[in-house]
Amino acid sequence: MKLQVDPTLLYRVVDRGRELGAQYVEARFQNDYRVSVTTRNNKVLAVSSSESSGIGIRVLVNGALGFAATNSTSLADLLELVEHAVSQASAMSRLRKRPIEFSEENLGNVKYSVNEKKRLTDFNVEEMIKLAMEIYNAAKSAVKEVKLPFLITDIRVHIQEKLVVTSDGAYIESRIPRLYISALLTLLHPQRGTLQRSREFGGSGGVELIEKWDPVRVISEEQVALERVLISGVEPPREKVAVVLGSEVVGLVVHESAGHPMEADRILGREASQAGESYVKPEYIGNYRIGNKYATVVDDPTLLNSYGFYLYDDEGVKARPRYLYKEGLINEPLHNRHTARVFNVKSNGASRSMDYASEPIVRMGNTYLVPGEMSFEELIEDVDLGVYVKSYMEWNIDDIRWNQRYVGLEAYMIRNGELAEPVRNPVLEFTTGWFYSNILGVDRNLEFYPGICGKGEPSQGVPVWFGGPNVKLSKMQVGVLA
Amino acid sequence: MNGPVLDLTRDITERLSRQFDEVAVLAIKRRELMMKIWNSEPSITQMWSKLNLQLRLAKSGRLWILTYETHEPEVLLKYTEEIIKVADKVTESELYAPLPDYALCKPVSGAFDQNIEFYMSYPDKLVESLVVETLSTGAGRVSGTIALSRVERVLITSKGYECNEVKSEFKVYVRAFKDEFTGHWAHGSTHISHSAIREVGRRAGMYATITRNRVDFAPGEYNVILSPLVVGNLFEYVAHMASALSVLTGFSMFAKHKPGDSVAAECFSLYDAPRDTSLPGTLGFDDEGVETRNKPIIENGMFTSFLHNAATASKMSTKSTGNAGWIRPRPWSLDITGGDVREDELIRELRNGVFVVNNWYTRLQNYYEGVFSTVSRDTALLIKNGEVAGHVGRIRIASTFNKLMKNIQGLSRERFDVWWWEVRIPTRAPFMVVSNTQLTKPEV
Repeated sequence: MKLQVDPTLLYRVVDRGRELGAQYVEARFQNDYRVSVTTRNNKVLAVSSSESSGIGIRVLVNGALGFAATNSTSLADLLELVEHAVSQASAMSRLRKRPIEFSEENLGNVKYSVNEKKRLTDFNVEEMIKLAMEIYNAAKSAVKEVKLPFLITDIRVHIQEKLVVTSDGAYIESRIPRLYISALLTLLHPQRGTLQRSREFGGSGGVELIEKWDPVRVISEEQVALERVLISGVEPPREKVAVVLGSEVVGLVVHESAGHPMEADRILGREASQAGESYVKPEYIGNYRIGNKYATVVDDPTLLNSYGFYLYDDEGVKARPRYLYKEGLINEPLHNRHTARVFNVKSNGASRSMDYASEPIVRMGNTYLVPGEMSFEELIEDVDLGVYVKSYMEWNIDDIRWNQRYVGLEAYMIRNGELAEPVRNPVLEFTTGWFYSNILGVDRNLEFYPGICGKGEPSQGVPVWFGGPNVKLSKMQVGVLA
Repeated sequence: MNGPVLDLTRDITERLSRQFDEVAVLAIKRRELMMKIWNSEPSITQMWSKLNLQLRLAKSGRLWILTYETHEPEVLLKYTEEIIKVADKVTESELYAPLPDYALCKPVSGAFDQNIEFYMSYPDKLVESLVVETLSTGAGRVSGTIALSRVERVLITSKGYECNEVKSEFKVYVRAFKDEFTGHWAHGSTHISHSAIREVGRRAGMYATITRNRVDFAPGEYNVILSPLVVGNLFEYVAHMASALSVLTGFSMFAKHKPGDSVAAECFSLYDAPRDTSLPGTLGFDDEGVETRNKPIIENGMFTSFLHNAATASKMSTKSTGNAGWIRPRPWSLDITGGDVREDELIRELRNGVFVVNNWYTRLQNYYEGVFSTVSRDTALLIKNGEVAGHVGRIRIASTFNKLMKNIQGLSRERFDVWWWEVRIPTRAPFMVVSNTQLTKPEV
């Protein structure tokens, strides 16, 4: 790993901030390099590359935070910038009644990188185009009675390099290569209308990830299933029925209704005017039960090859698995050093920045519902009449993470313990409390899905995984699209 | 744009023109200050000084888009050498069309406010004013954002086009809290306005304190009033779907329409308004050097125009509308015409229904069919017999854009320039009355 910045430059910034009276100074160099190929059906739309590189400086002055960022690596520019940051934070401090403070931590002094069997920088544009064409040809061949008028494929390589130094001793040098593939498909049938699907693959590592994901096979097999849904999908039953959610839907549910509401900054209201607050109140931590024994949700940034992988956060704190909900109990929020201080605990290493120009804020890494022991067949064997929702397109949740909706895409009736005919657009609306209290069983098939999670102002999109097993829920009313 | 950046942009264009058939270089220099407020106190002050360089390179119908935000712009040249080496391995782009021929540079003027630079040095006064005004309504606490920017933009192409312009941006939005109830308002402009700060604070506080009643709510079809915040959010999706690339990729409900088709109620018109220099999306030339112009997307209920760059226009046998994006044509600022209902008569005229003040998390099940839902946040009020009955809590609008636009019954005279976290395209919008709109709320 060859660093693209001289660390002494960052130390000069930190020292200057301290001289100017800041209690805490953090200087972060970050370089994000991306190459992508976008295709439409069997044609290339564009080949793109980008590089975002610069230094973000954060200071704590008289209990107020200031952040400043620039592309420049000129020492003079950086010293001027840290002076501005200190000066602005100092001016704002007169408006603060309660000073911001950071928790004291054992900070890292490490270098780490993700192993690549075949480096992503060697994955050339020609190979990317070839893969996109293979995906299109396989998907097109998979459907028989419907048309595939649009398949947009996006293949992206992202190399992220960071160096974080802080005035209290952190030194974290990291390199994380990430690969992402998406396919946006439209299936069209003259009488049955259209169906749209977004299928994504993402992780950290090298080109070998493609072999593991096998996107050509997965996408083409899925087209066969979606063709059936479009041609012969029926309306969901009108009576209340048992609902089984697939890993993809479960992953999204736990991201939205366990991960987000357990972000400590959201609990404290820091994102109130943007991403919102949380149904979780500080006094709920360790005291309030949101679900039953199956409701254990973990966020773990250290999962190998994950999309949300990191070992140390952007404040220098070592990452570890966090049990957000533990057997139904609201257990441990995601913390940075500021929220940890407010809650009088240690940070659990959840502070992340999208790029050099973004302040580090509390974020998820890889969030999942803990799986069980049984097979999928065992999970549904006692369901006389139900609906299995394997994937989704539309979803949303309110700003306290309570009232949520998922509209199924690939879905099936369950009859007498077996999957039966496809179901079209089943609508599920429930509250967080209902979901975690009505889990009747979970199978052992833990799967993960990638996403770019948005939060902050300016909005920061960071890579995450979300996942879970298949989950059986109590009976509920399944809706239809208006 | 200052000398060194302009010189660099010219130098890159000239050097790359020797190796590529066409070169366009877009340089955007931003200086920005943002103050965030949390529980009525500043949470952080953020400053940025950034240079963003974008290149569109074409050779034998092959197209490369490069974006660099880096301390060493010269590194761009290193990457372009790599491109040359693999040029023949890349197939021709479906979205290649020649850059437009030379045109006169006609930048917008009057879009820069010197006062914004002054307040970048003294932002605490603005924060204080916003907090004090909001709390004066009886609100208990305040969260929000004030952002000030200076943006310089230069475009040079190998067709001889060279133009640059400067504008400023001012964004303020606030959420007021009164116990369990909240209100929200937002404003965006190229010019700083103290009266706008006070108005944002006053309106957010007003909605947070409008009533303390909670009422039961049954899902079903309702007549609704959508505030300019909601209108701005929803019609941003509609405007993006008017991009010709959305149509070409199947992600547009307009894929089934052609200009002249009736898609909305006759009272409704939606314009792309880049020449309105008071809206912060303003610009005089697009990314291909085509002079921008205001244009209807929907006018008097008729779908009127897709948004094009040179390539999508060529593919659809028409002309660029001045909305390039090198790959994706996009709207700049939106202007939705007003109607004849006075804001203070909206609730009385609705008689019975629901008033939605703010929303977020709009998602689509199917872009081709325009099937969407969105969730209310802040105030959503049940209206009974022309009066506010109480809060219905967080509800969801679940509909199709086609149905929503056909069911527009009225628009307010008053319009508001809104721009915030959930309205990313600066939009001038009225209050909107829509009939027979499906509203849902979980029953479990």
